[in-house]
Amino acid sequence: MTRFVVNRVAGMLLVLFLVCLFTYMVFFLLSPDPAVQICGKNCTPERIDQIRENLGLTDPFLTQFWNFLSGLFAGRTYGGGIECAAPCLGYSFQTSQLVTDMIVQRLPVTAVVAIGAAVLWLLMGVIGGLLSAVQEGKFADKFIAGLTLGGMSVPNYVLALALQYVFVVWLQVLPFSQAVPFADDPVQWFLNFILPWSVLAIGYAASYTRLTRANVIDTLNENFVRTAKAKGLRPDLVWRRHALRPALTPIVTIAGMDFAGLLGGALITETVFGINGVGKLAADSITKNDQPVIMGVTLLAAFFVVVGNMVVDLLYSVIDPRVKAGAPA
Amino acid sequence: MSQLLKANGLSVSFGAAKVVDEISFGVPRGGTLGIVGESGSGKSMTSLAIMGLLPKGGKREGSLDFDGTELTALSEPQMRAVRGDRIAMVFQDPLSSLNPYYTVGTQIAEAYRSHRSGVSRKAAKQAAIEAMERVHIREAGRRVDDYPHQFSGGMRQRVMIAMALSTDPELIIADEPTTALDVTVQAQILELLAEVQRDTGAALILITHDLAVVSEVADELIVMRHGKVVETGSAEQIFSDPQHSYTQALLDAVPRIDDSIGELRTTGGKA
Repeated sequence: MTRFVVNRVAGMLLVLFLVCLFTYMVFFLLSPDPAVQICGKNCTPERIDQIRENLGLTDPFLTQFWNFLSGLFAGRTYGGGIECAAPCLGYSFQTSQLVTDMIVQRLPVTAVVAIGAAVLWLLMGVIGGLLSAVQEGKFADKFIAGLTLGGMSVPNYVLALALQYVFVVWLQVLPFSQAVPFADDPVQWFLNFILPWSVLAIGYAASYTRLTRANVIDTLNENFVRTAKAKGLRPDLVWRRHALRPALTPIVTIAGMDFAGLLGGALITETVFGINGVGKLAADSITKNDQPVIMGVTLLAAFFVVVGNMVVDLLYSVIDPRVKAGAPA
Repeated sequence: MSQLLKANGLSVSFGAAKVVDEISFGVPRGGTLGIVGESGSGKSMTSLAIMGLLPKGGKREGSLDFDGTELTALSEPQMRAVRGDRIAMVFQDPLSSLNPYYTVGTQIAEAYRSHRSGVSRKAAKQAAIEAMERVHIREAGRRVDDYPHQFSGGMRQRVMIAMALSTDPELIIADEPTTALDVTVQAQILELLAEVQRDTGAALILITHDLAVVSEVADELIVMRHGKVVETGSAEQIFSDPQHSYTQALLDAVPRIDDSIGELRTTGGKA
């Protein structure tokens, strides 16, 4: 087990290192002079030189990359006396803020969006899938199949705008979103999140419904379910112990990874609903070409995906006795 | 010997297809009935029909008299009380027939507990250990907490047998219990079934395509083909003097070590 964790962490660090290297190359080498980009339209050559100096762009690439990496672990000081504590993801000259701070401020909202959406889509997906499996081939199954097809094919932004129009503008059952802290007005806070949660959840719920349905139907045809029946077990026990557990285990895995992906920010949904999270930060930074921020968000997303993967692997070795941590799958 | 189970005109059909066609047989109390036939002959469907566990769409007709109870007339909850308690089953592939997510002890105890009300978890586990000891699984007290994948094929089948005998059933149905196993292990499992039968006095229905297997343990034999019984009789009688040409062909299809090398004979069925 310990060896497994050590191996996985080493692999994880390698992946993150490669992501760092790649994003660094894309944003600071392949794109046009970052200093010019950062400087904007009304720019003087002196200011460009100043930015180059401050960013360390005059150094050779490897030195720059090394500075970036060591900044992640040990912090760094930019020219011009800007202190950036570890983990230093860079400095945004456009907003004059540290990238790490910008992300940390927005992470809680993104987490709220991701958690709420995950709860919702797991509930909808598992319940819908179970219902279809039980009613296989009957009306409910076909009806749900139609819904999932719709859920999978409607793009997020269309769904977001449509729901906003229906519930906020037309029916007026939900208020326009206003940024309020939870402590000030919990009700408004909660109402704010209903639509974003739903929009994100619907797409995922559709695929989870199909997955659950397929898994449950497959499992019910397993020989061990027949054995359970042959023992004379009550049908509810056959279901609970012998059908659900094997059928739902893979769903836990996928949910973990999808959730980790969402922690990196839901770009479209956050933008449409004006939620000031990591996704909106990414979208704004892309429009403004604020490269250190784009890179920071990219690294953060990669970090969550890699960590999420590892957590799921570890979890799997706990919930499936056949998977022994450290043994090849 | 009086009959424990008597099937009379038992049929199983899926829509228009009759996979078991009005067969009749009897299982003597404490005795062994062998059901022989090639794949597709309807022998497994016969066993599932007795258990009331036919796959979706399967229809059962005829009569099944089990110790004076008409099984076909029982409601599902009544049948559930019989299943696993008075009639237990051992399936062909022990790996897929055991749930990979639970320890073998849990799975044996589950059968035991569901038919004994008010049995504590601890007592059920003890019963599972005892059942495992009866099928000669070494260090049963430790292995009870192992998962199916940690056992070898033969040991898994012993676990299945332990599960079946834990409730002291009157009838054990073993559907191709040795087919998925190595030849050397096959003999051990057959011996074990015979031993269990001697010890508990349970009757046994042994379903197989392997004549060598039934010849060792069965008292009575029925030979099935295309859902019909083509021959019935004592094992000796059928082996020494097969009446039906199909039985003859089935016997001839078994390669013998002293045969001259030539083409293997088939039963001429559409396998």
